[in-house]
Amino acid sequence: MAWKIILRPLLCTVSLALAVLAGGRAMAAQETARATIVRAILTTDDGQKRAIIGSLAGQGDEAIREIFTAWRQDGLFVYTAPDGAKVPVELTGDKDAQGARAAVRVDNGEPLKDAAGRALRLDASQLAAVEHDGRLRLAMKTVVDLLDLGSPLLTKRLRAIQTIGFAQKTDSLPVLQARSQVETDDGAKSELREAIALIQLADPDDGVKIKALATLNELHNSSSYDLIKALRDKAEAAGKTAVTKAADAALAAIDHHRSVVKFFGTLFRGLSAGSILLVVALGLAITFGLMGVINMAHGEMITVGAYATYITQNVFGEGMNFTLPFVKIAIHLPGLHLTGWAYQLYFVAAIPIGFLSAALVGIALERCVIRFLYRRPLESLLATFGVSLILQQMFKLTFGSNNVNVDSPVYLSSNWTVFDITFDWNRVFVIGFAAVIVFGVWLALTKTPLGLLIRCVMQNRMMASCMGVRTERVNMLTFGLGSGLAGLAGVFVTQLGTVGPSMGQEYIVDSFMTVVVGGVGSIFGTVVSALGIGLADQSLQQILLNPVLGKILVLVAIILFLQWRPTGLFAARSRSLD
Amino acid sequence: MITKLQKILGVAALALCASVGSARAADDTVKVGVLHDLSGTMAISETSLRDILLFTFDEINAKGGVMGKKIVPVIVDPGSDWPTFAEKSKQLLEVDKVAVVFGCWTSVSRKSALPVFEKDNGLLFYPVQYEGEEESQNVCYTAEAVNQQAIPAVDYFIAQGKKKFYLIGTDYVYPQTTNLVLLEYLLSKGVPLANIGGGYKKDSAGKIISAGKYTPFGHKDYQQIIAEIKDFAASGDACVISTLNGDTNPPFFKEYAAAGLTADTCPVVSYSIAEDEFRSLPAKDLVGQIGCWTYFQSIDTPANKAFLAAFQSWLKTTKADGVVKEGRVVDSPMVLSYDGVYLWKACVEKAGSFDVDKVRAAWKSGVSFNGPGGKVTTQPNMHLTKTVYIGESKADGQFKILKTFADVYGEPHLKGTFKPKE
Repeated sequence: MAWKIILRPLLCTVSLALAVLAGGRAMAAQETARATIVRAILTTDDGQKRAIIGSLAGQGDEAIREIFTAWRQDGLFVYTAPDGAKVPVELTGDKDAQGARAAVRVDNGEPLKDAAGRALRLDASQLAAVEHDGRLRLAMKTVVDLLDLGSPLLTKRLRAIQTIGFAQKTDSLPVLQARSQVETDDGAKSELREAIALIQLADPDDGVKIKALATLNELHNSSSYDLIKALRDKAEAAGKTAVTKAADAALAAIDHHRSVVKFFGTLFRGLSAGSILLVVALGLAITFGLMGVINMAHGEMITVGAYATYITQNVFGEGMNFTLPFVKIAIHLPGLHLTGWAYQLYFVAAIPIGFLSAALVGIALERCVIRFLYRRPLESLLATFGVSLILQQMFKLTFGSNNVNVDSPVYLSSNWTVFDITFDWNRVFVIGFAAVIVFGVWLALTKTPLGLLIRCVMQNRMMASCMGVRTERVNMLTFGLGSGLAGLAGVFVTQLGTVGPSMGQEYIVDSFMTVVVGGVGSIFGTVVSALGIGLADQSLQQILLNPVLGKILVLVAIILFLQWRPTGLFAARSRSLD
Repeated sequence: MITKLQKILGVAALALCASVGSARAADDTVKVGVLHDLSGTMAISETSLRDILLFTFDEINAKGGVMGKKIVPVIVDPGSDWPTFAEKSKQLLEVDKVAVVFGCWTSVSRKSALPVFEKDNGLLFYPVQYEGEEESQNVCYTAEAVNQQAIPAVDYFIAQGKKKFYLIGTDYVYPQTTNLVLLEYLLSKGVPLANIGGGYKKDSAGKIISAGKYTPFGHKDYQQIIAEIKDFAASGDACVISTLNGDTNPPFFKEYAAAGLTADTCPVVSYSIAEDEFRSLPAKDLVGQIGCWTYFQSIDTPANKAFLAAFQSWLKTTKADGVVKEGRVVDSPMVLSYDGVYLWKACVEKAGSFDVDKVRAAWKSGVSFNGPGGKVTTQPNMHLTKTVYIGESKADGQFKILKTFADVYGEPHLKGTFKPKE
């Protein structure tokens, strides 16, 4: 097999490294780690170079890591002294006016000095860089991994343990066993058990193999699947039924664990996909559901929120310039030049800004266009569609036709892994975000005076007007609220992709679908339908292993459902559509 | 009366000349077509190709044009709508009567325009990496063929000790065909089918007809796929081979980063991401990922530096509409467009004519041009011999070159050439 041929030198390196590690350190003890590295750098033969680097394995000198890091990042150079001696150096610090940087000798970590004892500064372009290639980097990584076995950082330790386990070299068993005596962290302990068991799989003795398989069975970790499978196939070919059986049991345990993880993972992903739909559709549930305006510009309200986030990010950072189209007013927004946590808060600041800017655009839209069209839903469809096209062109002229990117703040760009299920923070966030918004809307509609007015105007505009309610004003504020909610959605969707002039179009169909399925006029219906569509979509994707087919099936199901219940899940008793 | 009649006759004669002498609009100019999406989902990539073409035309015109004739571009926008490519090609060839067309990005757009070029015997210069299995006499493929991009990158991963390969792409002809070729190639390298992720489909005869996971253009939700990749990569030594196109890359990479995958544990090689796409990508989520092209902006040669300086100074002075002037970078499809114009010029000059058949004959005879990415040479199979680079992306959106393969012959027909290893 070709990859074996490629891997052979690497495995030789690893085994050599481990042989040195296990066998005694006679060769390495004679010279310091630094001296060994210098020897490696000055060796011209690639194979020998890797062997020398491999011999460093098991030495606990932290300098190794430092020098290897510099090497891998092209920071090492060979300086030829006036007497012809070649001295490997690391260039550090910033460049001065001549482009030169401080040079540190690799062999002793001291600054490089000339004959007079002055520290030399060197220009990288005048020196021979120390080269490296993929296999050399792998050899270095192996050494660093073993170094990492004793690292105080848990993540590094875990990585090191895994790497050693997957390599399946019996020579490294003593190192791992020694480590498991002193390891205190539970996670690392179980990883060590797994790594040891994986290495034992390569043991010639079947008894050891079966015992190791029992351990792996108990750990049922997805990562050991491939190695067990390979062993099983080999054992079956060799007719060793006991090993095959144990391997089958271990594989079944892993498969079972995987399916449980998949089930709960899909549930979570469905919930988050549903929450995104909900956040996106909630604004429309108000402008279309409650007010009865077929609002084709809903997507552009989302875009307004997204661009507001982009602008907020830039203002928190370096500031930005743009020109308003038609009126040709150049706007310069000075940057606050924040860094660290203060900068990361831009996303929090963007939430109210996104809401307000979209609400203002919505109110302007209502005042200029929609208020003339309340009794004419088809005209409102055409008019808002026109507005949507105009707004898209405006975005294009203002921000350019290229998409722009909003960074993920640190508090949204990582994840928790619980029971092997990955919970992305941004997904967890959107579920909470959706819950908060829905609760807020429910509070606003049912517990505030404005909510009362909104509900009464939506139920019967004429009657409300007769009772002295200023329906014009209520209409305006309701539309503003719906648009503002779309703006909030815009703030969040910046975390899913990039921001572009026509991004709103991608959400408009989903939004209408969600609202219609939920029942026009029913906020509760929108919640149920968003979560239902999200869950159905993600589970079908999982079952059919095809992202497109899942979506198609959901759409077909929706069409059939609407044939059966044209008013949606929860038919509202609003008269706004009469 | 007579003078009037003469004038009319003169105009008619001129019109006749224009229609007969296919390429000449007037005596001292030559019309060329630019067929790139300036709106829609592909505009993010293709607007830059329009810009670099305009720059190249200006550069050539400033030096006296092609055989003494100034290039006059005719720019059309198919709007990322594939059937429109055929319509616009027809317009360029039959109404505007251009001598040559530079255009297309996606293979589906090329396939849509191709019948028109073959019917009208036009010449299309195609600059973007593609799936091969095509050798039209009416297309000059300055693009990377599969063996000039996809295969070197896979070789690189194999040399890095990767054992598991996950294939993912946008659902259209380029990713589908490329992944099938890659599947054959991986099998021929001894990688078992179980170690090739993304799934595959077999037809009723048991032959694999599709390999890898596909999402449509504009797909947003990569949660399930990333979860699958994470599970796939759990046993180590895995990598992802991505032919995702256009604006599906940001959601993919955002999800990838959020799920805790990194370039150290499971690197991604993206055949559709070059320096230019970085302008609208979350660059920090992409550090350490692999790119494979026949040009990187970071190539350290005097020719490349001079080219970059000339392009930047053109950007400052150009009056062309809609050219973004700030933060511009150059990438492989742009340079291949640039090389394409110069190769066309060289072919025209060698042939001594703008006639498509003569230009094609000149192309087949082997013409070289020393471009910013190194020497490119035309081949009889309408492709190019060129240098291939593998690079690793950095936080500033540039690539650090890791490996160079010199003078790789462009081979379009690869399907079925790799035999599975026993």
